[in-house]
Amino acid sequence: MRVCMPTTLSDACSMLADAGTAGRVMAGGTDLLVDWPQRAHEHDDTIWIDLSRVTPLRRITCADHVLRLGALTTYWDVVQSEQAAEAFPLLKQAARVVGSLQIQTRGTWAGNIMNGSPAADGVLALMAYDTTIELRSTAGVRRVSLDTFYTGYRSTVARADEILESIVLRRHRYRIQYFEKIGTRQAQAITKVGLALTQDSADHSWRVVMNSMAPTVTRCPALEGVLSAQQPMAGPDAWLPIIDADVSPIDDLRSTSRYRRVVAARLLHSALADRCDWIGQ
Amino acid sequence: MAQCLYTFNVNGHSQTVAADPLESLADVLRDRLHLTGTKKGCGAGDCGACTVLIDGSPVNTCLTPIGTVNGREITTIEGLAVNGELTPLQKAFVHEGGIQCGFCTPGMVISATHLLNDNPSPTTDEIKEALTGNLCRCTGYGGILRAVQRCDNYRGDGTCAKKAEPPADKSRKYDNVNISIPRVDAADKVTGRAVYTADVTLPNMAYGKLLGSPVAHGIIKKIDISKADALPGVLTILTGADVTDTLHGVSPARYDEEILAKTKVRHIGEPIAAVAAIDEATCKKALSLIDVEIEPLTPVLDPMQAVADGAPIVHERYKGNINTHVEQEFGDLEKGFADSYHVREEEFIGNHIQQAPMEPHASVATWDHDGTLVLYSSTQVPHYVQYMMAHVLHIPLGKIRVIRPAVGGGFGGKAATSPIDICSALLSKATGRPIKMVYTREETFTYGRGRHKQYMKFKLGVDKEGRIKAFKSEIYLDGGAYSSFGVATAYYAGSMIPTLYHLPAYRYDGYRIMTNKPACGAMRGHGVPQPRFAFECLLNMVADDIGMDPVEIRLRNAMDANTMTVNDLDIGSCEYKATLEQVREKSDWNNKYGKLPAGKGIGIGCGGFVSGAGYCIYRGQVQLSHEKPREHFQKKSIFPHANAIAKVSEDGMAVVLMIGAADIGQGSDTVLVQMCAESLGIPASRIRMRSEDSDISPIDLGAYSSRITLMGGHAVSRAGTAVVEKMKPYAAKLLGCDPSEVEARHATMFPRGNESHTVLWEEVARQYFNDKGPLVGTGCYKPPDGLGGDYKGATVGTSPAYSFGSAVCEVNVDLETGKVKVEKFTDYHDCGTPINPQSVHGQVEGAIVMSTGETIMEDIQFDEKGNILNPNLHGYLLMTIKDAPEIFSGLVDSYESRGPFGAKEIGEGSTLPVLGAVAHAIANATGVWIKDLPITPEKILNALRKKQESAEAPSLAATR
Ligand SMILES: Cc1cc2nc3c(=O)[nH]c(=O)nc-3n(C[C@H](O)[C@H](O)[C@H](O)COP(=O)(O)OP(=O)(O)OC[C@H]3O[C@@H](n4cnc5c(N)ncnc54)[C@H](O)[C@@H]3O)c2cc1C
Ligand code: FES
Ligand code: FES
Repeated sequence: MRVCMPTTLSDACSMLADAGTAGRVMAGGTDLLVDWPQRAHEHDDTIWIDLSRVTPLRRITCADHVLRLGALTTYWDVVQSEQAAEAFPLLKQAARVVGSLQIQTRGTWAGNIMNGSPAADGVLALMAYDTTIELRSTAGVRRVSLDTFYTGYRSTVARADEILESIVLRRHRYRIQYFEKIGTRQAQAITKVGLALTQDSADHSWRVVMNSMAPTVTRCPALEGVLSAQQPMAGPDAWLPIIDADVSPIDDLRSTSRYRRVVAARLLHSALADRCDWIGQ
Repeated sequence: MAQCLYTFNVNGHSQTVAADPLESLADVLRDRLHLTGTKKGCGAGDCGACTVLIDGSPVNTCLTPIGTVNGREITTIEGLAVNGELTPLQKAFVHEGGIQCGFCTPGMVISATHLLNDNPSPTTDEIKEALTGNLCRCTGYGGILRAVQRCDNYRGDGTCAKKAEPPADKSRKYDNVNISIPRVDAADKVTGRAVYTADVTLPNMAYGKLLGSPVAHGIIKKIDISKADALPGVLTILTGADVTDTLHGVSPARYDEEILAKTKVRHIGEPIAAVAAIDEATCKKALSLIDVEIEPLTPVLDPMQAVADGAPIVHERYKGNINTHVEQEFGDLEKGFADSYHVREEEFIGNHIQQAPMEPHASVATWDHDGTLVLYSSTQVPHYVQYMMAHVLHIPLGKIRVIRPAVGGGFGGKAATSPIDICSALLSKATGRPIKMVYTREETFTYGRGRHKQYMKFKLGVDKEGRIKAFKSEIYLDGGAYSSFGVATAYYAGSMIPTLYHLPAYRYDGYRIMTNKPACGAMRGHGVPQPRFAFECLLNMVADDIGMDPVEIRLRNAMDANTMTVNDLDIGSCEYKATLEQVREKSDWNNKYGKLPAGKGIGIGCGGFVSGAGYCIYRGQVQLSHEKPREHFQKKSIFPHANAIAKVSEDGMAVVLMIGAADIGQGSDTVLVQMCAESLGIPASRIRMRSEDSDISPIDLGAYSSRITLMGGHAVSRAGTAVVEKMKPYAAKLLGCDPSEVEARHATMFPRGNESHTVLWEEVARQYFNDKGPLVGTGCYKPPDGLGGDYKGATVGTSPAYSFGSAVCEVNVDLETGKVKVEKFTDYHDCGTPINPQSVHGQVEGAIVMSTGETIMEDIQFDEKGNILNPNLHGYLLMTIKDAPEIFSGLVDSYESRGPFGAKEIGEGSTLPVLGAVAHAIANATGVWIKDLPITPEKILNALRKKQESAEAPSLAATR
């Protein structure tokens, strides 16, 4: 096991390239270091590229309708950034329900994306906006829409030699912005059902995003279609077939498929019935 | 991995350490800088015990690699109090009951300090938000919340010292009891000075780890340690072949655990090898190199399947996988049911839960050159550990010294001798070095000893007036792979039901079943919370059936003082009815029950417990068990269960109180000091407690069955009285009165009735010393002879005294998501005289929050192979500060003549009303009863859907 502590992003990229398949990027470590050192022996061959000294990556910038979160931006950084919280309120909402304050001060948005958990709450909020990520390697920068980043359970289009450099959110005007996370506990809960919604006030387009409902955090095209068509809904149950077209929740330790579907339908219905008069009761 | 140098600032001083870059800040602070105030409760970011401030922000140091803190500014708990002066927040924690076991305290104080730095007057919601990352298993967060809210009251000078000694109030009956003084260990705990077992470091110490079985059921074919043995840094490796055949356990009739499995493994995680190495990482690496071959057998995980014909057998000695069978019948059951106006039968299922104290188990062992074992253990029962170590090591008990450092909670999980107690001693013997072993959070789950999951079939008959005529209970307890406490658990599950209500006829059939899961043990309320939950629910159902108010039906059946129960338990004081009337009044029950809108609910549950078990866990005298003759059981204690020595310092200014009673956070040191002070007639602040070392303190059986206040209390107060008796002739001489007239109070002695004619207490003590040498008094306590009836198992449930309590719970259920928010609890208890009311309320608040979690979220889950799916604190859910309800805790007037100063118990009795109250409130809010725990949102929605479907079904049929 080796740990590299680069101070520039280009060094980090070369180190990662040199490490080949043994390379692992580390940011806040809140996913990677769980149960460390009990798991240390599983990483005998790992070469860690710790980004913590690449300080420019901590930066948040907000200009010209674009919010840019560096790879080391933490949840807490966003909570404390008035600009970010004002431009993209769901980010702050999501940040406050990630773990606890101690996690929010260390965990990064980039780590949340790259970790690829289907329960990722940061990703849920980010995907409800027009979000692109910039992946850097020694070969240069590549921009990928967050919408198409995940290819399956914990797999993404990112290559092993790529570092997520920044998260770029393009600001639109929104008529509706909604975020809800259902867990068993009132706090420190892993999401059982997560739903985020935005509606663009210019072109009326929708983004419907769910987490813990499919192998990845995902947009829900069928639901978005129904919403764009302003299709009236008789009640929460009417959403179920459409939800089933978009996601495939499972039974696991934390909940059941049935619960997830039913609650997602109810969240959708109550969120929209309040905000869209065409929905019906 | 190559070590690097890191320089950072800790509490204002620059520090440079050489470390692996991925070593956690928690380990660096604790192991290299000896700042052990930062605790490790999980290693996974879940508990917050390891919280420090980095550049002013709170972080979990267990997840913070040292490589990332170079050049940063770190504040640990040790950095808060400047020159020994506590911060206002620390003082508030001390005085407002913010501390029990103290294991969460440093992290909690750090998080709260961060909050107050930014926001000096936070709202309640802001405080909760700031503390969500800090779990507390003891306090229920009530005292913590009050401490942060009232922090302002502690600004300015010296509040702490001023408050420590309440002004003498001559009109009070007592000076030191029935009064809330701060815990004697509070200042140590709030500053990070208190030493827990994992904080102990001895010269030349090495580390140990256990290898757990990877399969739930199998035959060990081969264990090859050669590769592991060759690993640099490994000192020794032990397997089943290296240890004696002696079996150990808890119930003497059922010792069935091997030190390390020799031929068969019975649950995942069962210890099969122990390794000692120079550090934990090397131990862990060595474990991964041990080559184990196990022929798998089919595991049996479901107790109801385990008793079916042809099921795999877990132990040959337990036929049909039945470990214990209890069959008890009292009164005329058939007639009782025949005479009943209404009979209802229901099935209930409890859940398998874990004590999950914030401190994981730890042991440090070393051997003196004379062959004495010195064992530091995070245990609730130092004496039983001593006894069991003597048993497995085949050395006299007198050659074993058990030191119990501060313990970070137990709740029953630390009430047995653990594999790390035994293996640290064996590894230490083999290596000639002190060995430290600390469980990871996961290992605490695979070691187990949690609450038995019980499958209960109850039948209750009442007459028209709601009077109970007969009750029948059939319970299957899922015991896991070993006996542990289980025999007693199976008996307790039946024996405690008749203490609350007059039952003219009662039958109990209990079966404890073996399965291939970690052994279950004794958890707070030992065996009783689930049957009590089921009984209270059934009583509420029956009340509804016959149209009677749930409080009313209880009042009609409630136990009275000085009653012998149907199963021969001797109830002395009993103010159960008063607790019922008080909760009804205080909660405004009559205006709420049946009158709340859908989604809001109110419910009631009751319960009570023993104040110490009437008999010791083992029979006969204290002696090496192998040599002990089989003794005929006599209905009396062979030796005293609690023993104390009070030794007065030569100048008379201090008293050292010695008693081996285990303070595990419940506060026993403090109440014992208070009771001893009362007998001595001096303020509690003059007494120092020495309870932690078996070389210093005489035997007390430990912290289980809620026994210390009553039993230890008698012992210490008798020791105090013995001291005063010795002083009386000397005082009499100075006062010019007869020794029989001398009284001691307020650190003076005086002739009875003449409090103005005094001599200083210490002056009398000095006179005694000058004349006779050491001034020492001893005291002991034996439970009364003859407790219990004359049937099999009659000893279980016996006690000198019983507690009673009633709780009303109010909930909000979101009918869309099934999410339950327990909003409010109103609780009244009869605990006799509260020795320290703040401590009593702290127990009640903690119990309510813990047991609410048990009712709505805690559950150990297994896969089909017997792996625990949630052996951590993100999968196994404990209530956070945001989940905790608002609690009103009240006490009714009560005096127990068998208790010291009238005291009984509160520690376990406080849990018993809770489950039933929460379940009832949820049923009241939703219109559906959930009879299997935990009552999750998923179950609530399912039940609501089924109810709706069955309501729709007839109308559908009609339209067809
Ligand atoms: C107690 C606890 C509670 C939690 N609660 C929640 C919760 O409620 N909701 C939630 O969504 N998450 C939760 N998490 C998960 C975690 O905090 C987040 O996923 C976090 O955002 C990860 O960020 P990090 O910087 O700590 O990532 P790290 O642990 O450092 O890395 C995570 C993964 O991302 C990769 N990675 C990180 N940065 C980069 C980069 N710039 N380029 C390429 N790869 C990178 C790493 O290689 C690794 O695979 C919780 C974690 C803990 C320990
Ligand atoms: S030990 Fe770090 S959060 Fe529990
Ligand atoms: S006092 Fe909080 S965990 Fe014990």
